[in-house]
Amino acid sequence: MTIKRRRFLQGILAGSSAGMLPFSMIKAAEDSDDGNGILDDGWRVTGSHFGAFKAYRANGVVKEVRPFELDRNPTEMLKGIQGSIYSASRIRYPMVRLDFLKNGYKSDRSTLGDNRYVRVTWQEAYNLLIRELNRVQTMYGPWALYAGQTGWRATGQFHSCTNHMQRAIALHGNYVRKIGDYSTGAAQVILPYVIGSTEVYSQGTSWNLILENANTIVFWANDPLKNLQVGWNCETHSGIGYLKQLKAKIQEKKIRAISIDPTVTKTAAFLGIETVYVNPQTDVPLMLAIAHEMIVNKSYDAEFIRGYSLGFKEFKAYVMGDTDKTPKTPEWAEPICGVPKAKIRELAGILTTGQVQIMMGWCIQRQQHGEQPYWMAVVLATMIGQIGLPGGGISFGHHYSSIGTPSSGGSGPNAFPLNPPEGVEPIFDNDDFNGYSKVIPVARWIDAILEPGKVINYNGGKVTLPDLKMIVISGNNPWHHHQDKNRMKKAFHKLECVVTVDYAWNPTCRFSDIVFPACTQFERHDLDLYGSYAQRGVLAMQKLVEPLFESRSDWDIWREFSARIGRHQEYTMGRDEFTWLNHLYDGCRTKNKGKFEMPDFPTFWQQGFFDFGEGKPWVRHAEFRDDPEIHPLGTPSGLIEIYSRKIARYDYSNCKGHPVWMEKEERSHGGPGSDRFPIALQSCHPNKRLHSQLCDSKELRETYTVQGREPVYMNAKDAKKRGINDGDLVRVFNDRGELIAGARVSERYSPGVARIHEGAWYAPVNAEIGSVDTYGDPNTVTLDIGTSDLAQCCSAFTCIVEIEKWRGTAPKVTAFGGPKVVEV
Amino acid sequence: MIRRLIQNVIRPLKSLWKTLSRPAQYLSLGTIAIASFVMGIIFWGGFNTALEATNTEAFCISCHSMRDTVYPELQGTVHWSNHSGVRATCPDCHVPHNWTHKIARKMQASKEVWGAVFGTIDTPEKFEAKRLEMASREWARLSANKSLECKNCHSYKSMKWEDMSPLAAKQMKAAAERDQSCIDCHKGIAHHLPSTDGRSHQLLTAVNISVPEVGKNYYVVLQKPVFMNATSKEEAGMLNIATEIAVTDKSDGRVKFRLEGWRKRIGTGRIINEDFGINIKEAELTKGAAQSDAVVKVLEEKVDDVTGLTWQKVTVDLWTNDSELTDNVSGMWEFASTTYREACSQCHSQPEVAHFDANTWPGMFNGMIAFVNMDDDTQNLVLKYLQLHSSTYAGSHAQIDDQHNQSAKSPETALPLAKRQ
Repeated sequence: MTIKRRRFLQGILAGSSAGMLPFSMIKAAEDSDDGNGILDDGWRVTGSHFGAFKAYRANGVVKEVRPFELDRNPTEMLKGIQGSIYSASRIRYPMVRLDFLKNGYKSDRSTLGDNRYVRVTWQEAYNLLIRELNRVQTMYGPWALYAGQTGWRATGQFHSCTNHMQRAIALHGNYVRKIGDYSTGAAQVILPYVIGSTEVYSQGTSWNLILENANTIVFWANDPLKNLQVGWNCETHSGIGYLKQLKAKIQEKKIRAISIDPTVTKTAAFLGIETVYVNPQTDVPLMLAIAHEMIVNKSYDAEFIRGYSLGFKEFKAYVMGDTDKTPKTPEWAEPICGVPKAKIRELAGILTTGQVQIMMGWCIQRQQHGEQPYWMAVVLATMIGQIGLPGGGISFGHHYSSIGTPSSGGSGPNAFPLNPPEGVEPIFDNDDFNGYSKVIPVARWIDAILEPGKVINYNGGKVTLPDLKMIVISGNNPWHHHQDKNRMKKAFHKLECVVTVDYAWNPTCRFSDIVFPACTQFERHDLDLYGSYAQRGVLAMQKLVEPLFESRSDWDIWREFSARIGRHQEYTMGRDEFTWLNHLYDGCRTKNKGKFEMPDFPTFWQQGFFDFGEGKPWVRHAEFRDDPEIHPLGTPSGLIEIYSRKIARYDYSNCKGHPVWMEKEERSHGGPGSDRFPIALQSCHPNKRLHSQLCDSKELRETYTVQGREPVYMNAKDAKKRGINDGDLVRVFNDRGELIAGARVSERYSPGVARIHEGAWYAPVNAEIGSVDTYGDPNTVTLDIGTSDLAQCCSAFTCIVEIEKWRGTAPKVTAFGGPKVVEV
Repeated sequence: MIRRLIQNVIRPLKSLWKTLSRPAQYLSLGTIAIASFVMGIIFWGGFNTALEATNTEAFCISCHSMRDTVYPELQGTVHWSNHSGVRATCPDCHVPHNWTHKIARKMQASKEVWGAVFGTIDTPEKFEAKRLEMASREWARLSANKSLECKNCHSYKSMKWEDMSPLAAKQMKAAAERDQSCIDCHKGIAHHLPSTDGRSHQLLTAVNISVPEVGKNYYVVLQKPVFMNATSKEEAGMLNIATEIAVTDKSDGRVKFRLEGWRKRIGTGRIINEDFGINIKEAELTKGAAQSDAVVKVLEEKVDDVTGLTWQKVTVDLWTNDSELTDNVSGMWEFASTTYREACSQCHSQPEVAHFDANTWPGMFNGMIAFVNMDDDTQNLVLKYLQLHSSTYAGSHAQIDDQHNQSAKSPETALPLAKRQ
């Protein structure tokens, strides 16, 4: 069913005066590209990773942003919305790197990063892009093109930029793709072997059942209050509401909560709970000692282990020291993990008393051997024996996208299809990858550029790293999320062409050859699922303003690309923006038939939101606990695998058949390298950004920066010893690189631990390898190695540094404000 | 009262019979013969008129069960209203034009009339509950006659491929080559598809439904209950979707089947899997069935070294309803492949099917299922598809290797291997 745009809009305008609550103030955005060009001022509704909101526009400009009525816990990040739309860092026009414009793929790449760009027309930009794609496909083959580095695109199911870019590129030719992600790379690989599912992206036990039934909640390296501010789809913030309820329960002494972490997290501070400080990267020794204590006291649940798991015997022999003559006692663990042995014994007692819910954060699997703490945590939970009970067991997601809010059972709208239509072959249909792997573990792409042809172990198989020559990136910022920026610079010198599509001139643009200006998600119409796991409803995303400067929606960018390569019909399926929205909505409406009677699309669009309501409480792994035979886990045995024969057979030195403690390549607190670089640098998820998103928003940024730089949080003793005061600029460095940050001195950080939130925009002072980063991206100095031969994911938390006061005049921050435009 | 009834009804009947059974006294044989002939014509004409009357839309919708359900559904479709003004009404599709078939169909349809009168489908709710069963019967009929009634108007020969989308042309050409039955793909074209607890509508449109015959093998189209014998109402477990069964016997509405598979020798052995050491579910049985020697026969035992568990090779003999079975599983794999490709690329490129092995797929699939809109049947089907097309069955164990990626593209070329030892 298609509707004529004009009639449709008339319908919207007529409907908006009908006064439907709670959207009586909303006037639907008028689409100007049908020629009338006049946009109404008023309120519109839209959504984002940071929550749903209403925006007031007057004279074509967003003047005010207010949280959506259903959002009971809106966050400060909404303050970044206007700053992001009207950011000085917006990409205004198609841009090409100066030397690339002159010399094409044979350009001088040593100037990469000097940020000198030339404005070109859209037509010129398309010509260059298509010329390069044709060249790479004919000169090399699909193995030389990487269009797989994808991530947190802006919200909106239709304009999802990953899907647009990958569909369009796939209509042209084949390319190398990725598997896994930077957030949970090790977890996704290890947990299916151990507990039969990736867990991290799964619905968890409902918070209301946890609040009713748990006696103790353990937040292990987990800061939900910080991380629940954002979600994969439009975020509801219902998770934050449950944390408020938890706080009341703690105050009433109905629930005890503990945070095990090297710092006092935002959550721990909010809840007012005890923090057990653990040295960075040493959670496994602490867990092993707790297990040892449970074994010695016979306080573990032997019956649960017998009925629901395999391999406890092998593991127990290791813990007791039968296999390596080192019993993993609290006395053994204390010097490594820094937790006093008495405290370890106390923890073993707490964990085996009453109903205990363990909630794991993701940081501790983003380190060398990141598989181990997760595997070991499952073993501990198995020994406690409460997996599958309401308010007991273990979870890996209660800090993410409001997991733990019951699912409504409603189906959200599908996205614009990522894959080309079935039966349509690309123009360059060569599918011969020349012996290279066509899929690579996501964090190993820089290795591929630097060492093409190298064969690495991965998850029981082998990967032959492809010889990448060209990269296409959209709505993703690998120059934030990848480790070791100076190593990345070296790798990018070997590439021939890098193309980026984004709305803000982030560090990736600055290391690209061709840059396309996309509009923000607020400059196009879309629709989204409200609440990724809660599935609370379907939200209209009404365009707030017309695309600024020469920016275009991702749909328009790739639609024209497709037309230029003769694939317009295949790309669009003959639909325009509104017909697509209508189509995606109708699909959603059909799926929900019988469960939820949704109005037709024009009515929905005018109402702005369809509410599926609240879902029913649910317990993760309850079915398994109830009948493990009929509801086996997805492990080879169907049971929890404390010992995995499958992994043991891979015969990896860095991931054995059961969890073990292994020393890291570098580690603070007496670990390797700590004599020169005594401070652990942790790069956890930011408090006021989503990774690197909103870093461009000046108003929001200024609420946390120190002298315009990203803050580095550190302990008072460490600061004093180095003559650093709160508010000073400091140099954070190791052998890999250096960055300037602003010191925030705090008692909430234990000695030897510093944090810089990831997502700070990398801003080298110049193109040279090793040049100082002027804003403070922690990944300037992090280590770029795989977690192990099993997951091969990133090890960003295996990082040690020294910090000193910045002497002299600090170079200006070069991160924001776009490129240096060169006239030619 | 009963006596009065007998007096009033039986007596006149008796006297009528007396009259009729007496030889003709006043009429000639010729008169009788002519009168009989005329009467015959009138009767035959009347029968045919009556029969034709049952072939009109007006008759079809004279009862509530049709008028309130399938009839308004038809009105929303292109077969009711379109730019060329041609309309297909009930009998055009549902009554065979050939006389013998017509009478056979009428006999069959009398069951629905019975149902309407005696209350099995006399309310929309009851109709809905029976819809899958009734639709299955009609699909099986149309599958068997290659959708003859559709082809009275539509013909493969008259189709203009160049006016179709590339995908439609590809699929229609393939169908034309096989003279495939239209209904195999176009279920739900005139009426709503059966909606039974959110079970997969679209899946039903992807397969032909077979009328099972003894001695042949079939695949389960939707998960379905199994029974200990031909009549028992008590369920003995559940067959998983796309499971292959061999039909060994048949009795009113049910078939007896044999299933071959493997089970772990733990618990009570209730889950039957496709293959040794590999968790691809064929069926789950009740404790009673799983432990009955009459149902499960153990052929051999082996230890799986990946887990150290003992597995048993077994045959299972049970009964199930004769509906929702197909003799052609490839339509199901095509459906699963398309569903996987679409549903699992909402947020990122879907992993290559052969990227993981058969025992790893459940963990990966379960881990991401929160983001996809699939009902239970579709989930089970897609998981089974992924497992049967995983690296386990695509060659060596290497996880990421070019030659393994074919299976993701073309389900036909990588059908699950015949059950291995």
